[in-house]
Order: sequence, then C-alpha cells, then structure tokens
Amino acid sequence: MFQNSKNRHWLSAGSRTIGLGMLAAVMALPASAQERVQIEWWNAMGGRLEEIANKMVSDFNASQDKYEVVSVLKGNYEETMAAMVSAYRVGEQPAIVQAAERGFLTMLKSGAVKPVPALMAEEGYDTDWDNFVAPVAGFYLVDGKPAALPFNTSTPVFWYNADQFREAGFDAPAETWQELETQLYAMKEQGVTDCGMVLNSDFFWGLMENYAATHDQQWGTLANGFGGLGTEFVFNESELLTGHLERMSKWMDDDVLVQAGQGLSPSQLFVSGECATWVASTAAHSAVENGAEFDWSATFLPAEEGVELKNSTIGGGALWVLEGKSDEEYAAAAAFLDFVASVPTQVWWSKATGYVPVTNAAYDALTEEGYFDAHPTREVAILQLNRGEPTDNSRGFRFGNHNQAMQMLVEEVQKVWTGEKDAQEALDAAAARGNEVLRQYERLHAD
Amino acid sequence: MPTDVNAMDRDGKLRPGSSVLRKLRLPAASASGLKSSHFRRPWVAAGLIAPQLLILLFFFFIPSWKALSLSFVQVDPFGGRQIFVGLENFTSLLSSPEYRASAWFTLWFTVVQNVALISISLLLAFATDYIVRCRTVYKSIILLPYAIAPVISGVLWAFLFNPAVGPIAQWIHAAGLPWDPNRRPMDAQILLIVASVWKYICYNYIFLVASLLAVPRSLLEAATLDGAGPVRRFFTISMPLIAPTLLFLVVMNFVHGLFETFGIIDAVTRGGPGGSTNSLVYKVYQDGFVMLDLGSSAAQSVILMGIAILFTILQFRGIGRKVNYQV
Repeated sequence: MFQNSKNRHWLSAGSRTIGLGMLAAVMALPASAQERVQIEWWNAMGGRLEEIANKMVSDFNASQDKYEVVSVLKGNYEETMAAMVSAYRVGEQPAIVQAAERGFLTMLKSGAVKPVPALMAEEGYDTDWDNFVAPVAGFYLVDGKPAALPFNTSTPVFWYNADQFREAGFDAPAETWQELETQLYAMKEQGVTDCGMVLNSDFFWGLMENYAATHDQQWGTLANGFGGLGTEFVFNESELLTGHLERMSKWMDDDVLVQAGQGLSPSQLFVSGECATWVASTAAHSAVENGAEFDWSATFLPAEEGVELKNSTIGGGALWVLEGKSDEEYAAAAAFLDFVASVPTQVWWSKATGYVPVTNAAYDALTEEGYFDAHPTREVAILQLNRGEPTDNSRGFRFGNHNQAMQMLVEEVQKVWTGEKDAQEALDAAAARGNEVLRQYERLHAD
Repeated sequence: MPTDVNAMDRDGKLRPGSSVLRKLRLPAASASGLKSSHFRRPWVAAGLIAPQLLILLFFFFIPSWKALSLSFVQVDPFGGRQIFVGLENFTSLLSSPEYRASAWFTLWFTVVQNVALISISLLLAFATDYIVRCRTVYKSIILLPYAIAPVISGVLWAFLFNPAVGPIAQWIHAAGLPWDPNRRPMDAQILLIVASVWKYICYNYIFLVASLLAVPRSLLEAATLDGAGPVRRFFTISMPLIAPTLLFLVVMNFVHGLFETFGIIDAVTRGGPGGSTNSLVYKVYQDGFVMLDLGSSAAQSVILMGIAILFTILQFRGIGRKVNYQV
C-alpha cells in the first residue's frame, strides 16, 4: 500500500511537469510571431566571450529593423557541431553556425552549406574577398573564395607571469624550449611557483600541431591534406615532435607541467597566478585582461635550439550558412554576415576579445589607431601568423573528420602521461588510428 | 491464492461473486495477483496499455530501428552519403583494443560498484534499527545524494579530489599517498566508483530498510529469546527473508553500472586519462556525438541493447519466479 500511494504521487508530479512544459512551449510561441525575420546563430562562444558575442548580436539587431539574430550558445566547438548535425538531419538547423577550423573540410564537403560568396552575391552585397590577411586567406580560401566567413581567428601564444620570472631573476621567458626548461625548473627549485606551466585543454593544437607547423615538420602527406583526400598522418615520423612529447612528459613527471583536470579550467590556474606560464590562444586576452592581478604578458611560442621558426597556424572558427532556409532567412543571414565582416565590427570584436583581425582593413585601422603600441601582446599572434614564408607544413591542416582523429591523438598522448606508452608508441598508435578515420572519410567522399 | 480469499471472507471484505466485483467486470479474487489478472473486454486492456506502447514506440522501437539500420552503414554525419558495409562496424569494434578495454572497464566497474553498494547500504540499513537518536537526520543524510543531479555531484567530486586544488586531494597528499586522477588511471577509476557508490547508496538503502522492516518481529523476538545476538539474528533470519530484495538490487545495480554512468563519467573524468574510464555507454556518446562516427556508435548501441535484453531475460527467469509481485 505504501508503495502504491507513493507511485501515485510520482505520477501526478510527472504529469504536472509535462503540463508545465506544454504551457511553457505555448507561451514561447508568440515570440516568433513578430514582424522581423528571425534567424538563429549557433555558436561556441562560451565564458567571457559569450557576453561579447551577445553584445555584437544586439548591436546588429539595434542597427536595423528588418532582421533579428538570436545567438544560441551550444557549448564548445564539438558540441555545437554535434547539435547542428543532429538538427540538420531533422531539418531544424539554424541559418548560421560557427564551426572550428578543424571542421573546415568536413563542413566544406558536407553538402549542407550554402557558400558564403554566392549568398552575398545573390543578396547584392559587394564583398571584397581579397582583403583577408594572408594566413586567413591561405587557410580558408578554396579557388580564391572562402566557403565560410572567417570570423574569430586566433593562434596559440606563450602567456607568462612576468612577476614570477622577475622574482626568479629572469628578465623574460627564454626563446628556446631548452632554456625555458632551465628557467622553469629553477623557478620551481627557488619556490617561486609550484607550477611552471599549465597544460591547456587544447594542447594538441597549441603544443603539438602548432609545434609541428612552426618547426616545419610534416603532420600529414599531400601538404597536410590541402593536396587531396588521400592524405595520411605522418606526424609520428617527426623526431622533433616525439622529443617534444617526451619533454612534456618529463616536465609532468617532475610536476613542472600541470594538468588542471576535471572541475577546474586551465585558464583559472594561470589567471589566479598559480602557474607561471600557459600556451593558449590569443583569444585568452579577454579572460586574462579581465582577471589577472599580476604583471602578465604574452610572447611568441618557443623554438627548439637552432631552429628558425615558421608561421604558426590559425585556429578559431568561421561562420557557415546552412542549406534549407527560406529566402528571407538568407537575406537576414547575409545582412548579419555583412555586419560582422565590416571594419568597425572587426575592430571592435578584435579589441574586445583578443582574436586576430581577419581583414587587412581592420588590421590597418588598429595599427593606425596605435592600438598595438598600447597593447603589444595583441600583435604577437598577428606577427607570429605572418612570420616567414608559409610551407606545406605550416599552412594549416585540412583533414576530413579531423575532430575524430584529434580525439584519438589526445587519448593516445594521455597514455604517455599515465605511463602506459612511450612517446613514440603513442604517436604511432595515434597516426594509425587517425589514418583509419582518413580512409573512412576518403571512401565516403570519393566522387 | 486461496488463503487470501479465506482471509477476506473472514474480514467481511470482498467476497468472490459479490455485486461490486460483477460491476467492475474484474475476475474474482481467486485469480488475484497481478500476473494472472485479465480483462474480459480486450479493448479496455488495449486502451489502458496504449499510452505505454506509444512511449515505447517513440523511445524504444523507433530509436532501436534507427540504431540497427545505422549499424550496418558508414555514413557522413550530415546524412548526405552512406555506404552499406555489412558487419564491418561490428568486426572493427570487436578487434579494436580500445573497445575491449572499455568493455573490461565497464565490467570491472559494475562488479566493484555492486559489491560496494550492497555491502555498505546493507550495513547502513542494519544500523538504522540500532540508532536511537536523530534517526530522521541519519536517514536524511543517506537519502540526500539521490536528490542531487549526477552532473552536479560529479563536478563536486572532481573538484574535491582535484590534485591541484581539491581539499580531499590535499589530505591524501599530506598523508604521503600519491593521488592524481589525471595521470593515474586507477585513481580515476576509484574516484568514479566512489562518486557512483555515493550517488546510488540511498537507492539501495531505501529498499533494504523497507524490506528489513517487513521481517516479522515475532521471528526476531523468538530468536532473541533463544539467545541470538543482533548479528546472528541478521544473518540467520533477516538475510534469507530479504534475499529477493537483494537479488533485485543486484540486478538494478548492474543496470546502473552498465547503462547509467554517462552523467557521472562526463562530469568526473570524461573517459580519461587515456580512455581508462571510457565505459561502453560513454563510448557510444563519445564516438557518436563528439566524433560523429555514427555507424560505429550505432553498432555499439546495438551491442549494448543485446546485453540489456540478455539481462532482462535473466532477471525474469532467475528472479521473477522467486519474487511474488502480489499486491
């Protein structure tokens, strides 16, 4: 009997919840019945960036009265992609989605996107596609035009706590990994800090892919995938990269390199002053400027002794327009993209976030204003992206389902840190597993 | 059962053939017990089970069909391109060391969690009887974790045991023990088990307390008079009488361990380090929704569905017959 009455109670609670849900759904309906054409923009701008992205969207909405963009945060890049894919399969996709550079080829060949240049031309916007800064153009342009609008572009830089370096008797962090190692170990020994470097969650990008690019090491054959779908991962054949992974592993054994782990973000460990250095995107400016209460700075990624570094590769996202929307929605999407690509928005966005300006016009505007003299760390990423003549190894990466191969790489690298594998074994396994992904992609997309 | 009918008669309640029963068109109480009851008009029965069938249709049959059909193809995440590959998704899964490692971890996790859950909650339930003061507080503390969402409790555990900042991790370090769930797979697995046990202990506890309350006082008192102590009484009288509940809980804990670990793993370890806490269920999510390899993910969920069906059969065969669901 006791159980019975309890069941009944649960049942009524359940039906109440369903009732409330239906009520909420009904009440939400009138919101869409407005005169303005409403489109959704799904994005991965979380944390501090969420406020800035929302500000940009509300500025757009205030700038005209025909369209209304709704910014929807869908989690990180992978979660946004997964949400968009499931929505697309049932025809509920947003008009605009932000996808990471890693998903470029996947998006390009998905058959689910409307090329941005075509859209802009249809809607009568005269967009200058030659105006992108070189590294952005080198990555995003296919046959001279970008399939998506390059939006938030970044590259990893080397963040450091200048107070702690001074306290240990160093003017600045060293330019080579070898000297940096001496410095970080000395800082630990002197008790200046317990944590020489915090490992960022996207270390595979900041410390591995960009290490390979700047050191001109081949990541994949056929110009890192730019040359075709037959590309294969060969990063396991780079002695430099293997040595670099061994060094990271050694630092970790000695507690010089620290993982934040679950329940804590790496940026917290740097911004709070716990860790002396951090290799992370230049977009961390928004978080560091806002939170760090010490003399922080950022500089170029370190080099191996005797190596002259190439350019680093871009990261971040682009705005893709999806298939299957109405003409009005496309008009709204084009208006929004035009607003985003405009020089004032670019300048404002770059200042607010720390992302690199993606057009020459925006970069020139910032330079003329003297912005980089006042904020030298903001220019580090741009200079690093433009350093030297790009090679096939440093232009970027264009692999199908690269996200999947990347997750495998992370899993294998973690096995180095747990001591299950040595660096070479882990990279071999990551390349082998990644190649299966590439072959599967090639098989599906062979025309 | 006939004895029930007699009891009802003596109490002057419903008699077989009474007008009330005739009006309800229900079978006489002689056919009582849910298993044997039936309706004279089939459409009433159909109407009554229709909502449940609809729920099953939308949340079980259609998704199962989708999973089954996806498991034999390789497909572009957007659904534009698709190749039939036969059993390739299954064969490559079974030959993959990662999948085998995941299966071993899941099994290991489930068994250890089960043993820990049953023994701890049995101890707590047994102790409930012997707590004189603040019994409500005692019960509330045990029941509280069930009210907390797994993700929240997962984040809490991850933070408490975070080697860089977690207070409990600091105590462990202070005691001179190494602790780093980011680098030591065993630590990550232990953390996950602790978090999961903490979460489900109250579920086990509720059932055990209730079934212990149902143990006839007279038997226990008789045993006391015969000179049996509390522990002896527990093992010789209470234990055999609550055996059906124990078996039920073992099955439920297996189900939790095998299929309901997603939230807690996502919050505590995200399957790491190096895939060491990547349970079968979490792997379905990882491969399907993070990596967007839908074919492999579907094949994995088909395998999981097979395991679930097997468990259901075992449960009905092994336990269903021993437990009487009479109202």
